[in-house]
Amino acid sequence: MSRKPMSRIRMTGVVMAAGLTLAACGNPQGVGDDGKTDAGAEVPSRVEMVIPYDEGGGTDTWARFLAPYLKKHTAGTPTFLPENKPGGESITGSNEFVRSGGTDGKEVLVTSATTYYQALLKRPEVEFDFSKMRPLIMNGSGGVIYTSPKTGIKSADDLVKHKKKLTYGGISATGLDLTMLQAMDVLKKPVDATFGFEGRETALLAYQRGEVNIDYQTTSAYKTQVEPLAEKGKAVPLMSFGVLKDGKVVRDPNVPDLPTVEEFHKKMYGKKPSGPAYESYKAFLVPGTTYQKGLWANEDTPDSIVKAYWSTVGKLKKDKNFAKKSDSVLGGYPLYSGENAEQEIQKAFEIDPAARKYALDMLEREYDEKLGGT
Amino acid sequence: MLDAAFSALGNLFALSNLIFLLLGVGSGLVVGMIPGLGGTGAVAMLLPFVFALEPTQALALIIGAVAVVHTSDTIASVLLGIPGSASASVLMLDGHQMAKKGQGARALSIAFMSSMIGGLLGALGLTLSIPVARPLVLSFGAPELFMLTLLGVSLTAVLSRGNMVKGLLAGAFGLLLGGIGAAPAAADYRFTFGSLFLSEGLDLVAVALGIFGIAEIVTLVGSRSSVATGSGLGSGWRTGFRDVLQHWRHVIRGALVGMWAGVLPGLGATAGTWMAYGQARATTRKEKKKTFGKGDPRGIIAPESANNSVEAGDLIPTLLFGIPGGAPAALLLGALLAFNIEPGPRIITKDLDIVYTIIWSFALASILGAAACFLLSRPLAKLSFVRFPVLAGGLVVVLFTAGFQDSEQIALLQVMLLLGALGWVMKVCGIPRAPFLIGFVLSLPMERYYFLTANLYEFGEWTVRPWVLVLLGVLVVPTLFSLVKKVRARRDPGDAQQDQEDQPDGEAGEGPRPPRIWSVVVPAVFLVVFVAAFVISRGYSSQARLVPGLVTVVGAAVAAGALVAGVRVLRRAGPQEPEQRAAWAVEWRAVLRSFAWLAGFIALTYVLGVLLAALVFLPLFLRLVAEMRWRGIVVYTLCTVGALAALAAFADIALPIGYLTPVGLL
Repeated sequence: MSRKPMSRIRMTGVVMAAGLTLAACGNPQGVGDDGKTDAGAEVPSRVEMVIPYDEGGGTDTWARFLAPYLKKHTAGTPTFLPENKPGGESITGSNEFVRSGGTDGKEVLVTSATTYYQALLKRPEVEFDFSKMRPLIMNGSGGVIYTSPKTGIKSADDLVKHKKKLTYGGISATGLDLTMLQAMDVLKKPVDATFGFEGRETALLAYQRGEVNIDYQTTSAYKTQVEPLAEKGKAVPLMSFGVLKDGKVVRDPNVPDLPTVEEFHKKMYGKKPSGPAYESYKAFLVPGTTYQKGLWANEDTPDSIVKAYWSTVGKLKKDKNFAKKSDSVLGGYPLYSGENAEQEIQKAFEIDPAARKYALDMLEREYDEKLGGT
Repeated sequence: MLDAAFSALGNLFALSNLIFLLLGVGSGLVVGMIPGLGGTGAVAMLLPFVFALEPTQALALIIGAVAVVHTSDTIASVLLGIPGSASASVLMLDGHQMAKKGQGARALSIAFMSSMIGGLLGALGLTLSIPVARPLVLSFGAPELFMLTLLGVSLTAVLSRGNMVKGLLAGAFGLLLGGIGAAPAAADYRFTFGSLFLSEGLDLVAVALGIFGIAEIVTLVGSRSSVATGSGLGSGWRTGFRDVLQHWRHVIRGALVGMWAGVLPGLGATAGTWMAYGQARATTRKEKKKTFGKGDPRGIIAPESANNSVEAGDLIPTLLFGIPGGAPAALLLGALLAFNIEPGPRIITKDLDIVYTIIWSFALASILGAAACFLLSRPLAKLSFVRFPVLAGGLVVVLFTAGFQDSEQIALLQVMLLLGALGWVMKVCGIPRAPFLIGFVLSLPMERYYFLTANLYEFGEWTVRPWVLVLLGVLVVPTLFSLVKKVRARRDPGDAQQDQEDQPDGEAGEGPRPPRIWSVVVPAVFLVVFVAAFVISRGYSSQARLVPGLVTVVGAAVAAGALVAGVRVLRRAGPQEPEQRAAWAVEWRAVLRSFAWLAGFIALTYVLGVLLAALVFLPLFLRLVAEMRWRGIVVYTLCTVGALAALAAFADIALPIGYLTPVGLL
C-alpha cells in the first residue's frame, strides 16, 4: 500500500463533504414506509414501544411494567420492546413515531400529559395529532390540592377570605402544572407561582421546607407522601381533580372524602363553576388527567390490530396477578380500552380554539409566561 | 432496626441474590470501563432484566452496578486521558498526569483504594443517617443550594491559578453553553436557533467526551506515541497504598463532600467530585499545592472517594423523597415502583428490610468492585504503553457511540466534533478546561436556585439563614486571605515570583506552541461569541435573560482582557524561532489529519450507520494511521463491531442509524 498523505486527506475531504451535504438534508432517523396495511393485519410478533421519556421515569416504568402483561393477553403473544427516545418535552420521540412508525402495528407510542399539552397548546414543532391517532389503552390519573396549616385555611370559606396570594412551586407553566393553575383560576384565586423546580417531588420538598404553601400531587404521591404529613397536621387537603364518569366529573374513588374542584367552587361561591375559565380548565383536564398515560397507534392503523389491544384490556382486568401487582404503577386508576371511548378521546383532543386561547391568555396575564422564543 | 439490618444481610447472602449482585457488579464494571458509558449505560444494560426479576434480586442487580460504575470509569480517565464518565473527568488532572509519568499502576491503586473506602463510608453514612436524614435534607432550602452552586462556580478560580484570565474565560464559556435549552425559570428556549434537538440542552457526557476525549485523541494520534513515557508500571502498587494511608484525612473528607453532594438533590455527581477535588486543592498549604494538577495523589484520592459516596448519598433523596439524582437512581425508583414499593417517609417503617438490602448490597458491591479492579488493572495499566493510534481506532467508534446514548440524536456527533476542536484549541492555547466543565455543570442549577431563592424569599430573609452565612464565609474568607497575602507579597517580591510559577493544571506549555497570533485570534473569537450571545439574550423574557446577560458581560470583559494581553505579547515578542515554527507546522498538519479522519467517520456514520461505518473506517484507519498488520486489523475490526452489535442486541445500547443502513440492521 502506497502512502500519499495529501491524496488521503483530499479523499477524506471529499467523503466528508458528501457526508455533510447529506447531513444538511435532514435527519436520517426519520426514514420510514408510507405503505398502507391490509385491513385484516394482525399484531406483529415484535412490537416496539416508543417511549418519548427518560429511562426509569414514571411513564417509562408504566410502559415497562405493562409490557409482559400485554404480551400475555394480546392475541399472538407479541414481544414488546421498549425504546426510549426522550427529549424536547417528548416532542422529538413522538414526532419520530408519527413520521416513521407506520400503520402495521410494529410500533406503538407511549404518552403522558406532557405530550398532550404540547399538542393542545399547539407548539409549532408538534407533528402529531391525537384527534386522529388511534387510542389503544388508556390509564387515568388524579391529583389532590392541599395547603399548609400555617395559612389558616381549613375550608372553602377560609379560602374565599384569604387575601394574600398563596405561593406555589411548579416545573413550568406549560407542563403538568397547567391543570393546577387553571383550577386556581376557576376558583378565582390565582397563586403566586415560582417555576423552575425539577419535578413535582422537589416541589413537595419545598412545601415541607415551608418555601411554598399550596401544592398539588398525583393521588398516588399524595397517599404515600402527603397523607403522613396530613396525619401530623402538617398539611390540609382541600380538594381533588376528580375523575370522569359518563362525561361528568365525580369524586375520585381513591380519595372519596375530598370534594372535587366543582364542589369546592360551589362551597366557596354558592354555585357551580361556569364560563370560559371553567371550559378551558375542563378542556385540558380531560386529556391531561383522565387519559393521562396512554398507548397509541398511528392514524389508519387497521381495526384488526387496534381491536386486538382493546380486547387485551378486558383480559387484563380479570388477571388477578396483575390486579395485585399493578397498584402502585397504575396509581389506583383503571385501564380504559379505546373501544368505548375512541371518539370521546379523539374529541377531547380537538380542543376548542377559545379554550386554548383562554389558557394562553391566562398564563400571560397571571404568570407573565409567553410561549415561544428561540 | 438491628433485626431488619441482619435479616437483610442474611437475605443478601442467599445464593440467588448474590449471583445477581455479582452480575450487577460485572456489568457495572464493564460499562464503567467503556469511555462515556457511565450511569446511563448501566441503566440501558440492566433495564430489560430489572422488570423480570424478584424484588431483592433486581435491587441487588441495580445496586451492584451503581456502586461500581464509578470505580472502573477511572481506568480510561487515568490511563488514556479520556473521561470514563462525566464525573471521572476530574481524574484527568492528577490521575492522568501520574500515568503519563509511567506511574499508571500507582494512580490506579490509589483510585481503587479510595473508591472502595469511599463506597464503604457512604454505606456507613447511609445506615447512620437514614433515620435522621429527613430534617437534614429539609434544612437545606433553595438559598443554601444556591450558595453551594456559587461555591462550586468559584472553584473555577481555584482551578485557574496561574492564569486567572484564561480560567475565568473558560468558566464563563462553560456557564454560557450550560444555559442552552429550556430556561429553568421561564417558558423560553435559549440559543436553540429553532432546533428541537438543542431545546433539551447539550448532554454532559457528550460535552465531556468532546472537550477532553476527542481533543486528546487528535493530539495523541498525531504524535503517534503511547500515553505514558518511562516504564514504572510494576513499581507503583505499594506506593499507591502508602499514598492512601498517608492521606487518609483526604479519603474521609472526600467521602463527606461526596455524601453531601449526593444527599442534596439538584447538584449531581459531577459537581460533587469536582467540589471534592476543589476542596482538597484549596485547603492544602501553599508550598505543597504546586504539585496539584501534576500528579498529586491527593488529587486522585479526594474525588475518587467522593465518586462512590455520592451514589450512596444519592439514595437518601431517592428513597425518602422520591427524587432521583441521576439515571441509575431513577431506574432504582422505577424498579421499586414496579414492586409496589413507593418512596416516602413510610419506607423506613414499612420497608426497612428493603432499605437495608440496598445498603448492604452497596457496601458489598464496593468491596467486590474494587477487588476486581485491582486484579484487572495490572494488565489494563499496560494500555498506557500501547502505541496510541492502535487504541484510537476503537476509541473513536466507542466515543461517538457513547455520546449518542443520552439524546439519541445523530446531530450530536457533529456537535461532539466541534467541541473536540474547541477542546484542542483550548489545550494548545493553555486555556484550562476544568473551569469550563464546572461552569457547564453548574450553570442551570445555579440559575434555578437563584430564581427559586429570589422568588420564594425576601432578600433580608434568606441572606441571614445560618447555613447561608456559613457558606458565604467559606466563599469569602479564603478570598480575603489571599488578598491580604498578595498585599504582603508585594512587599516581599520573593513570594510573588512563586505565584507566577504556579501553572494551571499542567495544561499549558505542553507540546509545540501555536503561532503567537493565536493569542489574539482566540480571545477575539470568544469576545465575538460572548457579544453575539449577549445580543441574542436581550430578546428573552426577563427571567430568562438575567443569567445569560451576566455571564456574557463577564465573559466579554474577560475575553477583552485576554485580547489586550495577547496583543501586548504579540507586540513585545520578536519573531518565533524557526524550529518552533517547524514543530508547530508538523503538529498542525497531524491534528488536521486526525480531524479529517474523525469527520470522515461521522460522514460514514451518516450514510451507513455506525456499525457499517466502523467496518469501513477501522481497517482503513488501522492500516493507514496505526500501520497495523492485516491479520491484527481483521481481528480488531471484527471484535469491535461484534462488541457493538452485541451491546445493541442484548443491552439496549442505541446505535446511530444512517441514510443507507440496511433495514435488517436497524
